[in-house]
Amino acid sequence: MNIVCSPDGIIHPPRPDQGAIDLSRVGFQNVLLDFSMCCSGHELEYFGQEYKKQKEIADQEIPLVTEQPSGIGLFFEKMLDVCRRKALAVPIARTPFLLRNTKRTDLTERLFQIHAECIKFCGSIGCGRVIIRPVFSGILYGREWEVNKAYYLRLAPIAKEHHVMILLENQCKDQGGHLIRGICSDAVTAAGWVDTLNEEVGEECFGFCMDVGVCNLCGQDMREYALTLGNRIKAAILRDCNGHQESSLLPFTCVCHGQPQTDWLGLIRGLREIGFDGDLILDLADTASAFSPLLRPQLLSLAKAVAEYFQWQIGIENLLKKYKQIVLFGAGNMCRNYMKCYGEKYPPLFTCDNNQKVWGTNFCGLEVKAPDALREIPRDCAVFICNIYYREIEQQLREMGVENPIEFFNDEYMPSFYFDRLKGV
Amino acid sequence: MVSIGVQTKNVVNDTDPAAGFAMLGRTGFDCVDFSLNDYLTNTSLYKQEVNDFFNQSDGELERYFAPHKKAAREAGIRIHQMHMPYPTYVPNGSRELNDYLWNVVAPKSMRICAGIGCPYIVIHGWKLSHHLGSEEAEWQQTEKFLCFLAPMAKEMGITVCIENLYAGTGGHIVEGPCCDARKAAERMDRLNDRYGAEIFGFCFDTGHANLVGIEMEDFIRTLGDRLKVLHIHDNDGVGDLHQIPFTFTKTRENKVSTDWEGFLRGLKAIRFDRVLSFETAPVLTAFPEEMKEEVLAFIAKIGHYFQEKLNAGIESV
Repeated sequence: MNIVCSPDGIIHPPRPDQGAIDLSRVGFQNVLLDFSMCCSGHELEYFGQEYKKQKEIADQEIPLVTEQPSGIGLFFEKMLDVCRRKALAVPIARTPFLLRNTKRTDLTERLFQIHAECIKFCGSIGCGRVIIRPVFSGILYGREWEVNKAYYLRLAPIAKEHHVMILLENQCKDQGGHLIRGICSDAVTAAGWVDTLNEEVGEECFGFCMDVGVCNLCGQDMREYALTLGNRIKAAILRDCNGHQESSLLPFTCVCHGQPQTDWLGLIRGLREIGFDGDLILDLADTASAFSPLLRPQLLSLAKAVAEYFQWQIGIENLLKKYKQIVLFGAGNMCRNYMKCYGEKYPPLFTCDNNQKVWGTNFCGLEVKAPDALREIPRDCAVFICNIYYREIEQQLREMGVENPIEFFNDEYMPSFYFDRLKGV
Repeated sequence: MVSIGVQTKNVVNDTDPAAGFAMLGRTGFDCVDFSLNDYLTNTSLYKQEVNDFFNQSDGELERYFAPHKKAAREAGIRIHQMHMPYPTYVPNGSRELNDYLWNVVAPKSMRICAGIGCPYIVIHGWKLSHHLGSEEAEWQQTEKFLCFLAPMAKEMGITVCIENLYAGTGGHIVEGPCCDARKAAERMDRLNDRYGAEIFGFCFDTGHANLVGIEMEDFIRTLGDRLKVLHIHDNDGVGDLHQIPFTFTKTRENKVSTDWEGFLRGLKAIRFDRVLSFETAPVLTAFPEEMKEEVLAFIAKIGHYFQEKLNAGIESV
């Protein structure tokens, strides 16, 4: 699974060095090539009319993308150059798109030209996947597939020639300011579109990008959504919002009364169950824009940790598979949850606990031992801490002289839960 | 020809049901959604509090609702649908509570429904996906409950309707049980085939659909004739407010933010000919008591507007 950071709100393409330095310093290795940064929905909306684009490209006048689509790469020359120098790869791109509430119904051909140029440019820089939203404006109910099928199949030869996979993306639509489910928000339909397009072109030229923000705006069951699309999902855009207004916030920052407003549980369950191994695109454009540039390095450090946390949660079984033998530390609810969901597949030798009252007892089928027992386990046996006081316990074990690998287990996003919690354990 | 209905809650009271039904007749309704859920509320159940209403014997309950039945008949009002108290399973509730809901409240609700001459009863699916890990596992538990109700439904000639619901995280409403029309249709067909009768149908709730951005036209078209009952109400897309259709807008352009046109196109496409039933009881507590008749008449007027649209050509929607 690739962690990819969207540069929106972080890198300013005309002057990209600082943003790229910030991303590189905190350890990001991939960035999204976001063509919408040089051709916004507003530019498209005003195409053919007077539109002043804020250009800060020193000493050169670059024409608007809408006026000259073939020039789209010019906007990113500096950014891509600095990315190369900072060893930031560009594995995936996103193409320009119309505003959700666009009034323009006449831009499909112009969008096609822009999207075609985006694909060619991606091919020229070795960027292998490009997200192209379905066209929607001005299409009558019931004709969405017909129009989009023709649209994507026109793009397919260009994508094949340039070795780029096109990813469709789930959409919401504007209903008097209320964002409701739009094209490809029905997973069965979306899966059918991808399959049919691939059948038509005779190879896997199309895949899917799951925009978590859109799923959240539409209150969708993300587990079901991911499961239905399965391995067609080649990328997922990870972003938070309050479920009513479209925004791109750092995950876990949109909360109310201590609860997240995005169903991260459903998302993690779904991506985990399909064995998601694509591009995990972190889009925190709004959060990054709101933070002072002075704080951005610290914000990006947190963002990187958040992305890695998702990667870890989605691939939690990779961690469990890593060791031939494991023991647990903790004989409480987290241990119980481990045994419920993973105990059969990855059975621990035993568990241990600091509470001497439970030593020698059996908990969820495991013998509970004193921590001292960890001194006698094989060297390659890992200790999984099943207690939220992770770092404190890790320190205790190291001070005891335990040199085995120590891992943290976490039961916040389990495949299922008990209805009750044990008390007094 | 579709009819127009509304909840009995906040209109029909037990001390003088005739007055309430008469008011509904005067204000333009010809059907009601009988609010049985008002006798054992969800708020009390979630607090694990149970009153003794359903401890009454079947005979006592029949006598209790006899005046309502008589008053409805005299006012020319048809009791088209009824809402069973919900939830019918309380996660983290005591075994005694859940046994009571299953073994006492549900069967007695069915008998009240039959006794009052109501052909449809609406139930809520169980909200368990968080714990059980999947919508499918959640549905299996709901299905057990439906199978418990099935013989009673068949014998009494009642169609049990499942409703699209919501769940929540951090105050944000997300989809809950029965929000997938394809699955709902397949499940109803399978159960109806199993019992050899049309004892299960669907209740489409416009407000719940709006909260989770469901494409109403698609949803209704997929349900087709399985759609037996409606809960029509509006909200701001954020909270389950049960307000009057066309109430909400979210931009300065002041365009309606609920897809009523899609709703009507869907009904038109499936040739819906049952009851346009409004689940708008909270409106009646928001407006002054003195305005109740005018408010009800306005709701009925919207029903008649919908009715006209459905009767006219689809292009008129």
